[in-house]
Amino acid sequence: MALACPVDLDTLVLRKEIQSIYARVAADPSGDFHFHRGAAYAADRLGYDAGALASLPLENTSSFAGIANPHRIAPLSGGATVVDIGCGAGMDLLLAARAVGPSGRAIGIDMTEAMADKARAGARALGFDHVEVRIGDALDLPVESNSVDFVLSNGVLNLTPDKQRAFSEVFRVLKPGGQFLYGDIVVARELSESTRRNIDLWTG
Amino acid sequence: MLNAIGFTMVDVTEHFDCFAGTSKEGTARKYGVFGVNVHARKP
Repeated sequence: MALACPVDLDTLVLRKEIQSIYARVAADPSGDFHFHRGAAYAADRLGYDAGALASLPLENTSSFAGIANPHRIAPLSGGATVVDIGCGAGMDLLLAARAVGPSGRAIGIDMTEAMADKARAGARALGFDHVEVRIGDALDLPVESNSVDFVLSNGVLNLTPDKQRAFSEVFRVLKPGGQFLYGDIVVARELSESTRRNIDLWTG
Repeated sequence: MLNAIGFTMVDVTEHFDCFAGTSKEGTARKYGVFGVNVHARKP
């Protein structure tokens, strides 16, 4: 699993490129992208429950661009507080909100306004008053320390240039005994320095 | 890295061939890129 980032990577360019790509996914998920999107992909390739996805607004499932399925790792308990880092259009967030129920809390974090707006609209459409979406960054989570039962993330932390800081933030916000349900991509082979500095490969 | 930060019971629970059928399938194969589910706990 390769996690190191070259110190001279232009992280501002990387951040802007990520925001640009996912703003386009939010606006037009049927566009030309290098990754799969949508509910059919999630059900067929990642093992999501097709019926559960069908019960969510299409606006929230069509922009889904995750690469794993954190919901298969461990069940979310009723009444729990869950944070979804990089919640995007909200598919995982809304599934988590349903699992924890109205006595729980589901907090989505995303740095793309267009995605956050979609997630909020989905929560409103479903009447999920226990959902909150905050604009923020995985490297500086807008969440109180030791306050969360579950952190989930799906295909997001690979995009952060400082994995150690991102994981430390997850550790900070979790309560003792809290669980990290983490879906992401990994690279099985060691990468050259030139490959690690290639922004296009980071984002695609 | 997760263990070094303090997480315990770190476990890769599932793999996903998430780039199959995309325009980047060849790049993913070249670099050995795939999706994983990982479970970890804060003690």
